[in-house]
Amino acid sequence: MAAVVEAKNITKAFGGVKAVDDVSVSVEAGEIHAVVGENGAGKSTLMRILSGIEFPDSGQVLVDGKEIDNSAKASIDAGISLVHQELSLVPEMTVAENIYLGGFPTTAGFTNRKEMKKFAQETLDEIGVSVDIDERISRLSVALRQFVEIARAIARKPKVLILDEPTASLTPAETDYLLAMLGRLAKQGLAIIYISHRIPEVFTLCHNVTILRDGKLVYVSEIKKTTPQEVINQMVGRELKLDLESRRDAKPGDVVLSAVGIKAPGVNNVDLEVRAGEIVGLGGLVGAGRTEFIRAIIGADNKTAGNVYITVDGKKNQITSYMSAMRNGVAYVPEERRVDGLAMTMSVSDNVYLPNRKDLAGNGIINPGKAAKVAKELADRVGLRPPEIKREAGQYSGGNQQKIVIAKWLHQRPSFIVLDEPTRGVDVGAKAEIHRLVKELADLGTAVLVVSSDLPELLELSDVIHVVRDGKIMGTLDGAEADEKKVMGLAAGESLVK
Amino acid sequence: MSQQESIQLGGSDKSLWGQIKLTIARRTEGRGIALLAIILAIAAFTEPLVFTAYQITLGRIALIGLVALGLTAVILMGQLDLSVASTLAASGVVLASIPDLTLGIIAALATGLLVGAINAFGVAIIGINSFIWTLGMLFFLRGVALVLSDETPVKLTNADAGIAFGQPLIGPLTPRILIFVLVFILIQMFVSRVKMGREFYAVGGNPQAAKDAGIPVKRRIFTGFMISGFVSALAGVINTLERTAADPIAGSTVLLASFAAAIIGGNYLKGGRGSIVGTLIGAAALGVLQVTLTISGVQVPVQQIFIGLVLLIAVTTDPNNLRAVLSSIRSARSSRVKVQEPASEPNKSTAS
Amino acid sequence: MAQAPEEKPEKNSRGTIEWFAENGIFVFTAVLILAAAIFVNGFASLQNITDVFHRAAPIGIVAVGMTFVVISGNYLDLSVVAQVATAAVIMIAVSNEYGYFAAVLAAMLAAIIYAVVNGVAVGYFKANAVIVTLSTTYIGLGLLRLLSGGSIFFGPPDGALAQFGAGKLGPIPYSALVLVLMTVILAFVLNRTNFGFTVRSFGVNERATRLGGTNTGLVIIGAFLVTSLSAMIAGFVLAAFSNTAVSAMSTGYDFQALAAIIVGGTSVFGGKGSVLRTLLGVIFVSVLSNVLVLLNIGFGYQQMALGALIALAVAVDALARRAGKK
Repeated sequence: MAAVVEAKNITKAFGGVKAVDDVSVSVEAGEIHAVVGENGAGKSTLMRILSGIEFPDSGQVLVDGKEIDNSAKASIDAGISLVHQELSLVPEMTVAENIYLGGFPTTAGFTNRKEMKKFAQETLDEIGVSVDIDERISRLSVALRQFVEIARAIARKPKVLILDEPTASLTPAETDYLLAMLGRLAKQGLAIIYISHRIPEVFTLCHNVTILRDGKLVYVSEIKKTTPQEVINQMVGRELKLDLESRRDAKPGDVVLSAVGIKAPGVNNVDLEVRAGEIVGLGGLVGAGRTEFIRAIIGADNKTAGNVYITVDGKKNQITSYMSAMRNGVAYVPEERRVDGLAMTMSVSDNVYLPNRKDLAGNGIINPGKAAKVAKELADRVGLRPPEIKREAGQYSGGNQQKIVIAKWLHQRPSFIVLDEPTRGVDVGAKAEIHRLVKELADLGTAVLVVSSDLPELLELSDVIHVVRDGKIMGTLDGAEADEKKVMGLAAGESLVK
Repeated sequence: MSQQESIQLGGSDKSLWGQIKLTIARRTEGRGIALLAIILAIAAFTEPLVFTAYQITLGRIALIGLVALGLTAVILMGQLDLSVASTLAASGVVLASIPDLTLGIIAALATGLLVGAINAFGVAIIGINSFIWTLGMLFFLRGVALVLSDETPVKLTNADAGIAFGQPLIGPLTPRILIFVLVFILIQMFVSRVKMGREFYAVGGNPQAAKDAGIPVKRRIFTGFMISGFVSALAGVINTLERTAADPIAGSTVLLASFAAAIIGGNYLKGGRGSIVGTLIGAAALGVLQVTLTISGVQVPVQQIFIGLVLLIAVTTDPNNLRAVLSSIRSARSSRVKVQEPASEPNKSTAS
Repeated sequence: MAQAPEEKPEKNSRGTIEWFAENGIFVFTAVLILAAAIFVNGFASLQNITDVFHRAAPIGIVAVGMTFVVISGNYLDLSVVAQVATAAVIMIAVSNEYGYFAAVLAAMLAAIIYAVVNGVAVGYFKANAVIVTLSTTYIGLGLLRLLSGGSIFFGPPDGALAQFGAGKLGPIPYSALVLVLMTVILAFVLNRTNFGFTVRSFGVNERATRLGGTNTGLVIIGAFLVTSLSAMIAGFVLAAFSNTAVSAMSTGYDFQALAAIIVGGTSVFGGKGSVLRTLLGVIFVSVLSNVLVLLNIGFGYQQMALGALIALAVAVDALARRAGKK
């Protein structure tokens, strides 16, 4: 059977690094094709290219054998429909209107409501979802919004449907429902590309699987000819090279951080402890809830239940807000340094000054000499290159920027530091330096919590690894015995831990 | 498919009471209606004259509400138009400065459209925050009005037409009230039934999604600001006709009152949420309030204080903002609940 | 070796538009003053210079104070109009009965109330600053008219206030010295205190500032408090100069102060700018107004000029930002 949609030799690089490297995929009508890979393997980029939102550096996209232009409109016209993550809905408009956004049926300029409602209802019936079409999106649950998104994509009567992690915010029952729906649609002739980390779903639903790793295509197979284990192996790929010398000799002390019963949006009742001098790693896939969890612990976001305690010098204090966390020596290195971590147009010295200002000023008046001295010391300590503290933060490379974010917390010896994806977008050299810094901090007795999607990093740094999925800790691995496959297995849903 | 019934929303309650509850929950005019009800109740008890002399009340509502209606079109898209007061004044001056009445009216309305276009240009093309750009225009246009009028009120050439305009036309309803009703119907239909108008909600509610769906966002912004400018100019024309003179510094309270009407009526300043009906309700609430106060002999400064207070409370108690404030209070409180636990707890294990 | 792409640092390219946005004001002010001195009759006279200072002073004092609100990213404080008039009326009305000390206390109380109402609404309730301050302007003006009955208050002709208003250091009236003093003090607060630091940081990146351990509500109340106290002092100065006070005397102060701030180069989006720049903007705007008056250009044209100036300055700022982001 001829392929309905085909990506041929697609290559795309960002800033010199190939996000997608000569990848080809082909999907036939009625086929459900899974595209699987780690975070950053290139899946999303490939899908954006297929739906015309992103232009490839080289390669073609073909529909029914004919090459199509690189534009969103061309893709949509050709019948490729991408299901977004509910972000493309207008909250205060009705379900019917959202399904028809941009293309309201009109009679002489007036929206033909009857027609719109009729088609919307038909589309929803087709995919088997029952929703009041006059309801506003803002009043629907996240799951229902996802289904409306799908209805929206289907309404255009596409030939190809692309879904990117559609079950991320669905309960198991809703997931089953979605999978059944997709199965039905495929039987009616729709070609479906299904991107997911969740191996069990892939094996339930899909006919074929393509695995991407580091931008390259490494494996293609029919589902019935492979196993979940093999898929995970291929996703991870690298041989386990546990460099025992680079691992720390950790001697964890008393419990510093104790979080009990934490509940928040995306966090389902989690307990966690981190000891002094210990590095605890949180592994898991994007959307697992790790960032939500740590932000709930330190008070950066609101939680709905649970208590958090910090014990320093034998005294146990409860943390009830971000400010109280800071007062108790908590340091936070956020995931998005450009948004949460740095004031890009302010100098290094100013950025470093912010959390330390009470300490460095007398009576609220800034002591520029002292501030500069401390800034210089910290810049040297983290290896900022070049160590020009008057330079704007935004003018440094990603790695150096991350160092600045860490530097600002080093002045006051933190009792507990949380780092969320500390080396994302950081070059190799800076990455090693940041790892060194983190280990140093732990050696000094700081309790360290690291969230990372970079498996080698997680394995190298952590003394203990908790793997998070769906807002819960799925499993705990000892740092010295863990390997990538075990972590990925827990993260993706297979219990491979014996 | 046995699980087909598992994905359902409460839209299945087809009973009348269920439908009513749903409609109430979905609409945004709740606060406005509540306020209107309170004010009507107070008026009924203290100054029933408000109702018996309803043409005065309606006239006031029309005064406050007209500009507010046009403004709502802009607010729905997440923008502000602060220039409405000066547009009103400048158009009035334009009208009065032209001897021929018809030509004058056309010129005045054209002025409003031009102002709208300039506003949209700054916001959509240059990309300036609508607050600041329209604020600059507010000032600029005030200067224009003063220049054109030579800093004194300009008398309308055709004074008789002006006087005739102030007379009741249909029953006790003056042309002002009728025009207001007409504009309300037109804009309401535009925003609820015309494709272009519906898209205003998308532009305000999720601009990125609107753009991705192929909606020409910049063009819609132009349309919105031109509606606002046109309606402000219309208000200026009406004012000038009724007073047979154009005051170059007219419109100062209009700015406050129209924003108040729109916000009370449930229009969300960040856009995408609200309704023209809500603005009408807000204008009604303010109009009745003002007339009640006037009839009660309350001085003008006190009326100002009232309206200012209403706007302040309305803008600070916007449900979306409140939700964020309340959730952080709730979160802080829930954290403090278990402080009384014994200091020594057995260490909990965090095994899988 | 494939890995997550590393971000390249932003290029520090100072394009023409950006340079213009940054430094244009210095050039323009100098050119304006020079041109005025040469071409405009009566500009360079002692009497005129003194007059310019007199008129610039109260607006300038408001402007340097309001800079704090603008830098914090909250656009502006429209209620300065009400606050200046309130302070002026309180100063004269209260001092006539109870002396200057009582007047100052009463005015400070009013300033604090304004700051708290504005600051809580904007900082804690996260309401739009433009609308909030619009409403407090009306409430404030209404209260003032109510309590003052709309009447004009006169200070005693030989009173300390009047003497201060008439006092000069050479050609420079005391009021201008107050402006300079306030500029120095506020520049110090903005640049050399922790409070000023958090205000600036807040305007650049609110989230990062919060995560650096800042109580955002207090920062915003603080910014409004600085503005309120400045407006209060401006009201005193205005009362001293005219030795009278009436509720309508401060009309237009909000726009003129904003014009001065924006023209001076402080970004209306927050984070960028300084008190000294505002002073420069005040000079430019005052000289321009003076020139227009001397050239017999009507009040209406002056308003147009100010409005166009604001629009131009903001447009240049917006374009410069866009160019910088590319």
